[in-house]
Parts: sequence; structure tokens; C-alpha cells
Amino acid sequence: MADYAHPEVLVSTDWVARHLGDTDTIRVIESNEDVLLYATGHLHNAVHIDWQTDLQDDLVRDYIGAQEFARLCSEHGIRNDTTVVFYGDKSNWWACYAFWVFKLFGHKDCRIMDGGRAKWSAEGRVLTPDVPAYPSTNYEAQEPGGDIRAFHAEVVRHMERGGALVDVRSPQEYIGEVTHMPGYPQEGALRGGHIPGAVNVPWSRAAREDGTFKSREMLEEIYLQEQGLTPKGDTVAYCRIGERSSHTWFVLRYLLGFKNVKNYDGSWTEWGNLVGAPIERGEPEAE
Amino acid sequence: MSDRLTETVEQFALVPDTDRLYLLLDYAEQLPPLPDRLSAAREAGLGRVHECQSPVFLYAEVEGETVHLFADVPREAPTVRGLVGLLVETYEGATPEEVAALPEDLLYRLGIAKQLGMRRQQGFAGVLHRLKTSVAEAAR
Repeated sequence: MADYAHPEVLVSTDWVARHLGDTDTIRVIESNEDVLLYATGHLHNAVHIDWQTDLQDDLVRDYIGAQEFARLCSEHGIRNDTTVVFYGDKSNWWACYAFWVFKLFGHKDCRIMDGGRAKWSAEGRVLTPDVPAYPSTNYEAQEPGGDIRAFHAEVVRHMERGGALVDVRSPQEYIGEVTHMPGYPQEGALRGGHIPGAVNVPWSRAAREDGTFKSREMLEEIYLQEQGLTPKGDTVAYCRIGERSSHTWFVLRYLLGFKNVKNYDGSWTEWGNLVGAPIERGEPEAE
Repeated sequence: MSDRLTETVEQFALVPDTDRLYLLLDYAEQLPPLPDRLSAAREAGLGRVHECQSPVFLYAEVEGETVHLFADVPREAPTVRGLVGLLVETYEGATPEEVAALPEDLLYRLGIAKQLGMRRQQGFAGVLHRLKTSVAEAAR
């Protein structure tokens, strides 16, 4: 892990196992696709934050506000200087998503447990159904910041000036053969294809079989040499709803040290359905 | 709704909003394993509910006027395992007509739609659809 641009944000299952008792300074947070998985057993002393019912506000199709975020953190005994460590199912998709949302509200010390829940279980480590309770804190949340989140208008300008766009969906979704990912019909779009100029790097290429991140060398091979992305340039990542792309955002920002990379969470469910938004279909054009 | 579903809906209504979703964990726990005679079909990928991202398999047999249901859902996906378990338990032994009349808005009637969140609700529609079509086919 030491080779990564910001190695401190990635911690091992060993590290977490050693720090499970340090609840005064560290809070371990499980974030899953499955809303009941935490209840069946989780890391000792870990709390549960759900990407959908805790972090999103359906009424405005946006994230919760700073006040609600502060309340959520306070309820879980998280202070502004607490080290929060995220882990979850599905190769840490939702852990990365929650990490990104915490960064949006300006939380300083966020980390990911490499390999997530699957690695922890595979190593035969203990899971418990006991839900911990922590004394409430007075968390102060910032208004969500814009430097890691791209809105539609900004993506349009970015596209027009030929900025780097990374589409992290499956090749079938990128080419335009299907309008949703297998298994997620509810997150479809009326049109299939991608944002003009985007390259296609499915998010899973950054992960190993066991859910851990690939080495820096392997990641550079994919994103830098193969795709020609540059850590100094402005980059925007997107998928369908912004969760797979938060995984790639994490890889580019923290493991490869990209200076300015944003997650476009409106993603294809917004762009693909938007009146007047241009799209491309088929394979990327050869240069 | 069948009498047993009405009973289940009433049981769910007795539990406070915040705890209701956890009732699914009991159903997830109680889902019987797939009988051996269906394991070949399972291996061949038959009976898979393609709308579910997790590998969910659902089988229906109809004996006279009686429906028998079997399913396999990973334990790592307890929410969908619980929902499938609820359907299997509530509709085992039902008539094909009762399955055909299963309400599409079941999650609302159970009072767990909001707790699941908008995006998770619609994935369940694939399971319901598969249940109804496989019972209808088996009854033919």
C-alpha cells in the first residue's frame, strides 16, 4: 500500500482488527448495497450508514443537508476529528460512495478498509450482531463542497473543452447496447451510449478478485499508459448513479494522486434522459 | 390478498416503522434449502431471476390445486433473501389463483417500501413477476 499517492487513506483488515477498540478516536462504518446485511453481523464496534436511507433525500433527489449530516454523525458519536473507516459489500462500492459523501461535507480523516467485508469474512474474522451505542457529539458539518462533485452544467463545459471523462460502466452500457446494468432495471435511461469523448474503464478493473485495490503500478498501466489520463489534468468520472464512479474517483484521487477529479453523480440516469444532451454510441473512435 | 398474506400484513403492522424491516431477517433465516432434485436446474442456471443482481433462483411446482415453492438466495443478500422467504412461506400450499392475485404493491402493504428506499423497491418487482409466471406455467 505504501506506493500509493496517499497511502494513509487505505487501511488493511489487520490494521482495523488492531484498532477496533479505539472508539474514542476511530469510528468504523459499514455501508452496503443490502440494507439488512449489517444486522446479520458486522465488525465489532462498527456502526451502519446506509447510502440510500441515511445519505440521500428522495424529495430533492440530492444528498441530505449539512444539518442532517451533522445530526447523523453526532448520533454515531463521530466528532470532526474522528478517523472514520469505511468498509462494505460489493468490493467497497458503497463504502467508497459513503467516503465521497463524507468528503463532500468536509470530513477530514476518512479511510477505506482494503478488501471490504468480503475480505474480512474470508479471513475468518469475527462478525457480531451487537449494535454499539456511542455518546452523542456536536458535529459541525460544512455545506457540501463543490470541488469533488460535478453538476451537469459543469460536465457540459468540461466536455466542450475536451476534458477527460471516464465512463466506469460496463462496455455494453458504454457502447449503448443496454440502457441499464443487468439486475438494476430501475436505474435505466431512455437512451444508451456515453458522454461524447468519454473513455470506458469499467470500475472493476481497479479491483482484484478479493476486492482489494490493484497496485499503483497496475493502476497506472490502466489509467495512465492505456487510457492516457494525466494526474495534472481535470478529470470527471461517472456511471449510472454515481456509486461505481465514486470507487474510480477514490482510485484516481487517492491511489494515483490526481489533483482535480470529480464525481458526476447525476451520471447516466441524468445525462441519458436529458433533453438536448448529446451522446455517442459505439466503440470509442480510434485516434 | 390470501388469508395468510392478510395475516402477514397484520403482523407487520404491529411492529413499529423503524423495526419492521428486521422482520425480513427471520424469513431469510427460515428459507428452506433447495431440495436436491432441483440442484441440477440451479447449476444449469435455470430459474434465475435476472432482475436481481444477486444470484436468486426461484422454482414453482403445482400439484392439483396446490402450489409448492422453492428458492435459493445467498445469505450475503439478506434483504432479497428475506423477501423471497416471505413469499415462499406465505404462498407455500396456496392455489395458483391466489398467487396470480398477489398484489403488486406488496411492499407498501407490508409497510417497508420507505425503509427500503426508492431504488431497492423496484428490484423486488422482478421476483414477483417470476413467481407469478412460473406458477402460471406450472399450473398449465
